[in-house]
Amino acid sequence: MTLPRSAQASSDAKARSTARRSLARDLRHLLLFALRRLVGLLFTVLVGVYLTIVIANMGGKVDELRLVQIRSDVSEMVRADPAFQDMPAEERNTLIARQVGLEVERLRLDEPFLLRSFDYLQRAMRLDLGRAEQMHSDSGSRQVYDLIVERLPATLLLFGSANLLVFFTSVFAALYLSRRYGGAVDRSIIALAPSSAAPGWFYGIFLILFFAFLVPLLPAGGMVSVPPPEGRLAYAASVLRHMLLPLAAMFLSSIFISIYSWRTFFLIHSSEDYVEMARAKGLPSKLIERRYILRPTLSPIITSFLLMLIGLWSGAIILEQVFNWPGLGSLLFQAIGHRDTPVIIGGVVIFAYLLAATVFFLDILYALLDPRVRIEGGKQ
Amino acid sequence: MRGWWVVGSALLLVGVLVIALRPPAEPATSAPSRAGEPVSSEDLEGRRGALVDQVVFTREADVGRVTGLIEAGSHQLFTQGISSPTVFNRLRDSLATGYDIAYGTYSELTLNPAGPELADGTLNPFHVPAIREALNRLIDRRHVAEEIFGGLAVPRLLPLSTAFPDYSRLADVARELELRYAYDPVAAGQVIHDEMLALGARRSDGQWWYAGELVQIKVLIRTEDERRRVGDYLSNLLEDQGFAVERRYRTAEEASRLWIATDPMAGHWHVYTGSWISTVIMRDQAENFSFFYTPRGRAEPLWQAYQPTPEFDELADRLQRRDYRTLAEREAMMASALALAMQDSSRVWLVDQINATARAANVQVAVDLAGGLAGSALWPYTLRYTDRVGGEMVIGMPALLAEPWNPIAGSNWAFDRMITRATQDPAVMPDPFTGLYLPQRLIHAQVTVEAGVPVTRTLDWLSVDTAERIEVPAEAWLGWDQTERRFLSAGELHPDGLTTRTRVRVHYDEALFERHWHDGTRLSLADFVLPWIVDFERAAPDSALYDVAHLPTFEAFQRHFRGWRIVSEDPLIIDIYSDQIYPDAESMVAARAPNPIPWHTLSLGVLAEQRGQLAFSSNKADRLGADWMSLVAGPSLAVLESLLEEKRQTQAIPYAAVLGPWVDGQAANRRFEALARWHGERGHFWIGNGPFELEAVYPVEGSVVLKHFADFPDPADKWLRFASPMVPELELDGPLVVEVAPPTGQNGAAVEAMGGAEGLEGAEFRLTVTFEGQAYSAEAIDAIQVLLFNGRDQLTHRGEAESTGEGNWRIRLSPETLTALGVGANSLELAVTSKHVALPVFASHVFATVPQGGGEQPR
Repeated sequence: MTLPRSAQASSDAKARSTARRSLARDLRHLLLFALRRLVGLLFTVLVGVYLTIVIANMGGKVDELRLVQIRSDVSEMVRADPAFQDMPAEERNTLIARQVGLEVERLRLDEPFLLRSFDYLQRAMRLDLGRAEQMHSDSGSRQVYDLIVERLPATLLLFGSANLLVFFTSVFAALYLSRRYGGAVDRSIIALAPSSAAPGWFYGIFLILFFAFLVPLLPAGGMVSVPPPEGRLAYAASVLRHMLLPLAAMFLSSIFISIYSWRTFFLIHSSEDYVEMARAKGLPSKLIERRYILRPTLSPIITSFLLMLIGLWSGAIILEQVFNWPGLGSLLFQAIGHRDTPVIIGGVVIFAYLLAATVFFLDILYALLDPRVRIEGGKQ
Repeated sequence: MRGWWVVGSALLLVGVLVIALRPPAEPATSAPSRAGEPVSSEDLEGRRGALVDQVVFTREADVGRVTGLIEAGSHQLFTQGISSPTVFNRLRDSLATGYDIAYGTYSELTLNPAGPELADGTLNPFHVPAIREALNRLIDRRHVAEEIFGGLAVPRLLPLSTAFPDYSRLADVARELELRYAYDPVAAGQVIHDEMLALGARRSDGQWWYAGELVQIKVLIRTEDERRRVGDYLSNLLEDQGFAVERRYRTAEEASRLWIATDPMAGHWHVYTGSWISTVIMRDQAENFSFFYTPRGRAEPLWQAYQPTPEFDELADRLQRRDYRTLAEREAMMASALALAMQDSSRVWLVDQINATARAANVQVAVDLAGGLAGSALWPYTLRYTDRVGGEMVIGMPALLAEPWNPIAGSNWAFDRMITRATQDPAVMPDPFTGLYLPQRLIHAQVTVEAGVPVTRTLDWLSVDTAERIEVPAEAWLGWDQTERRFLSAGELHPDGLTTRTRVRVHYDEALFERHWHDGTRLSLADFVLPWIVDFERAAPDSALYDVAHLPTFEAFQRHFRGWRIVSEDPLIIDIYSDQIYPDAESMVAARAPNPIPWHTLSLGVLAEQRGQLAFSSNKADRLGADWMSLVAGPSLAVLESLLEEKRQTQAIPYAAVLGPWVDGQAANRRFEALARWHGERGHFWIGNGPFELEAVYPVEGSVVLKHFADFPDPADKWLRFASPMVPELELDGPLVVEVAPPTGQNGAAVEAMGGAEGLEGAEFRLTVTFEGQAYSAEAIDAIQVLLFNGRDQLTHRGEAESTGEGNWRIRLSPETLTALGVGANSLELAVTSKHVALPVFASHVFATVPQGGGEQPR
């Protein structure tokens, strides 16, 4: 049966029109969805950052601590200086009061905390990281941006390498194990999974003890030998040498639990009806793995991968301390110790924005990949 | 295909491991070793400046790893003091390590003196001085030092550090007080009991009650170190005395909110486990009385609650103001103040802590008795391998490059200062064991003081004389005219003349201007004058260098500054006039003698701050929103580099009207070209003239490299005699039983005593003073004071030992002296003070006096 040309054209036009309408509807829903998510995420960032400001300052109580600290520091500094020793006590106390006043003014401790907290917030939301109050970057800059950027490469290098290694090793090992469910290796991994209850720094201490002191093959800490080698290759080799122990510590602490959880995840998906059907059809196991297991589970894998990447931001405070690694974790640790609010906020706000951007990106990705999310998300 | 993946991955892994495990081409450090054959004087011949070729500083904050890292050979020295007994024991037991000790930290109990009733109506027993005083006898300081601090402390009773000169000077008084307040819990308990009853408290069921409530003591216990156990120990003692004790464990920050910031009357605490630190040897601790016991100490509520007796208050005030005419008068005042401080006891002193500085066994370095390695001025001159000359050393420190480095108001962190000190060559150098200053670039100094001003001289490289009136010459520089950019003379500012209390004339080394900066240029007088100009400019409100943070210190300086005059340009002789007094003439010279800063690098900084691009001080940097100037790293370097380029083009001389006579265009050109070369080769602007030059800075990696400066003028062994403190080692020997005649006085009968083999004419005791097995030179002994205590710990005799040859001393006690002891157990105490070290050493000998012929004699 053939339709008249005009009828066919009309039908095509109708179909195109329907498709266009459908696309427009989808785009509208997607836009609405994106806007809502964006507003929601921004609000979450706002709340998160403000909570950080309030908590880091203990609701303003930190001001009292800092005032006491400033007074003590200045008093001891003046007392320790022989030039002031014969100064009459009244004059000396006046001198101390002036010095304290200058520091109070510099740190704006004479302003109410509430006012300062909103100032911190609006700057943070605009990503104006500003100046640190106490700290400096290793090279001497007081810009929070410089402080963070200076430490970022070391963190990315170590934690990026470790996390990527753990991620890919565990995903592929898990796929392998999901095919050999119940085997000796599988049972061994399950038995070793609780070893991940101990954090990386815990393994680090033992690794240092063994490989740096008992059998001194590797350095006990630091990022590069002292002084750093001149050539680039020698420098890279030295960094690699210094990375081995922390890398091994992180790998040991997370690999087994990671394999175990991915393995369980793949096992669940391996028992889906469509996978059983594929097996029944006699498809090769590689094809089943790729098309029937990996592809449908791609979304959670990508989510996990991206969140892992974002997780690099904060580094690992104790691990960096144990290995004397100059990363962001130790920077934040120092900032908390100094109660340097701008640095703490700087670290948190960037993490918050990165997290929000990742979540937003994933939402959009899901919406593009999965019509159910797109349509239902738009309606919600 | 899959097989290839596996093979590829395995190869990659092997490759990574090979690269990572391959040892570095040139090992940075030597293998750990025990000390080998010592270096002879021939080995040192011809060597100038530092004794090692390169020093690398690196971050290492974990003291727990110190011994392991030295044993592994990756580090040779650590700057952080070790106070943990566990870590110290590990260090001590290792054959590959050694250690030096420092005494700068001390612990005490701060008592809340408010009351007797606090704001909430509860009783504060520590309002009563007698109860506070009794605590001194309640606490067993030996237990605290040996058990709680694991031997890393020595007992301390007085507000004077046992390692500093004042304690040496007053050793006899100190010993007497130490015996008076020796551990006696029964006597202490009795005093507390009596005083509590007098306060209206009652004791029931072994506990103290007041107004129907248990008397509760809140002990604020610091948790970070051994003070946690000190707090527990004290709490147990107080509970034994019948007090209910609330133990409040707090960190420094949490505790400071309570003990410093709250009103003592509020009763948030009664006792606080305090600790203090001195990073330099304090040669004058007279100020301690005012600081620790009177409201003048600090403005905080605790200090305002102190109520010293009028006598003590006045004495403390006079001592702080140095209101005495002679040293003898000062010592008498100090002795009285010590006794009164013990009666007041607002603070109960516990121990002087010992901090160990770890090093490899074959490494030697002069460590400051108070400041440890980080506080040692002589470390760059004495650091060496004992078995070879040269080589490289790696030093671990908890932090470095903590703040930006600049010569005007840069990093003040002890560890940063330790590094920068090695690049500088100061006019004088403090003795690490006595705190007295010794000449480095000076050859002589003359100190003239107004008649009646108590200043003493110990060393012979300087002289002290007095004058009835010291006039400041009209041409001396006294102020700064910021508008005309010139110094103002004393004559301009004080047309009617100006007098002062002191004049210090410093004579620099004749070859001073032959010396070189690290960039190869020669020193010039401008290097001495420009820092002065900058100092005045920073306090001038109209100047672009004006810094409000500099003002308080500058004003304090102006209070006593009376002028500066260049007497001779070459050789350089400078007069400095001031109203400020130091008891030691050496300290006065150290405070006055100008040190040079290379004018060319300083001028770049001046220009950067004038243009608002960088600032010398942290405070001004924040006010300008600019970077705090760093000559070694960071964004400052780009700014300085562009300014250097500009200077090379213009050859502009800063403050040409003043510096013109010493700097011409050619000289400026030479300086800026040399600086450009220096920067090009090393990437920084830090130039000095010390025994080490700054070779490289790696901020993120956390290491700094210093290299031996070949042009340093002094022989390498110049300061080696200070490599280790010559603390005298004592051996006191004498009779255990001495016969004495009955204390008759009757009929003028002769009094006889017999001691061992020494005959019947009295008793004789022998003291041997040595150092590392060698006799201690008699000239090096400052004094050997003899104190004789009877069985009731009463001081019955003071005297001095007499020398009987190198290292040997004799103490004779006359029959009359012995008879005055009566019959019983007695103690002969010796306090030995050396000219080489501030730390006094004590020896004691217990002997019995029995009646002649063995008869009983009532006491």
